[in-house]
Amino acid sequence: MGPLIPNGFIPGDWNFVIALLLGIAFGFILEASGFSSSRNIVGVFYGYNFVVLRVFFTAVIVAMVGLIYFDYFGWLDLSQIFILPTYLAPMITGGVIMGLGFILGGFCPGTSFTAIAIGKMDGLVFTIGLYLGIFAFSLGYPLYSDFYNSGDMGNVTLMDVTGISSQWFAFGFVVIALSAFWVTMLIEKRVRKRITEYKF
Amino acid sequence: MNRNYIFLTLLMLVLAAGTWLLKKPSEFKQIKPNDLLWEMIQPTRYVTTDQVAKMIIQKDPSLELIDVRSANEYNEFTLPNAIHIALDSILNSANTMYFGIKGMNVVFISNDDIKSDQAWVISKRLGYKSMYVMKGGLNRWYETILDPQQPPETAPKTDFEMYAFRKGAQLYFTGAQVETTSTQKKDKLTIQRKRKASVASGGC
Repeated sequence: MGPLIPNGFIPGDWNFVIALLLGIAFGFILEASGFSSSRNIVGVFYGYNFVVLRVFFTAVIVAMVGLIYFDYFGWLDLSQIFILPTYLAPMITGGVIMGLGFILGGFCPGTSFTAIAIGKMDGLVFTIGLYLGIFAFSLGYPLYSDFYNSGDMGNVTLMDVTGISSQWFAFGFVVIALSAFWVTMLIEKRVRKRITEYKF
Repeated sequence: MNRNYIFLTLLMLVLAAGTWLLKKPSEFKQIKPNDLLWEMIQPTRYVTTDQVAKMIIQKDPSLELIDVRSANEYNEFTLPNAIHIALDSILNSANTMYFGIKGMNVVFISNDDIKSDQAWVISKRLGYKSMYVMKGGLNRWYETILDPQQPPETAPKTDFEMYAFRKGAQLYFTGAQVETTSTQKKDKLTIQRKRKASVASGGC
């Protein structure tokens, strides 16, 4: 049956409307999970708050296992899903840069918008910086376009690269995520005991 | 420790482990090589252009013509009601659904029978039944149906019968005019009237 738009169940003209609704829902969940507070977000790096890790890992494992079931029941054809092409070195570099910005600014791009939505000044400043960054990147693009487009591995998945079946991969990932939940809970408890100036 | 967390952890583990049980039947089940070879050497896997023409004329509902040439060639010329499935996309699930329909006989056509033979082998390997190839393809179709040649006078009677059928099929598919034999000049019917006997010419 699915994906619904490519298979003609929903006309393609609805693309943007659906994207908008999904965006609103995504922003709502981000805000509801406490992602509009930079303290919650950077807590991962200091060890007192792992809500980011828990929310994202939960989303990943539910979606991962859910998609396997959906594919099995014929509700969603996984072979028709768009897979972002992989450029290994540029992506790692981009990830490191984004991680640095994450720690420095206390937001990632999506959460900075939810912070603005609830009226946070730091979110606003972060977003201005974000657009300046985009502008600077676009201007300087010719300098690093070669690197940016290097190492195209195509639309590969981890299953293609490693040869592990999606079931095993999903199970392994679920085990890792669940253990991370429990371990981070313990870390949180220990770290929070030592922190006195910030009440939870 | 929170009970809900323990419950959710266990639930997620069970769901993840459950994916192992979801063994999809392999999409492309193949028949044994020996069976494929056996099927390949059977002459019955071919149908002649005459058989196809007859089925089209009789509007046989079990006939399913599949044109495996390129889209351009298909748009230029094909047989009536033929479905286009290019050879390179024959394994798409949207295309394989045309095969193996109960009661339908799939006949592959292409310019000769090379491409259609390849399509036949692929579909046969997947285990579909009632698959055929039009022998000689559209070239043979042109020679036999669209432009049939009269057999020599010494040819057996069956050849003439076949020729008669092909001429009929040619009319059906091309709308060609019936060749009429040269019209002979008919003798004008002249009516000779007897002259009325005049009184003066005699009598009693």
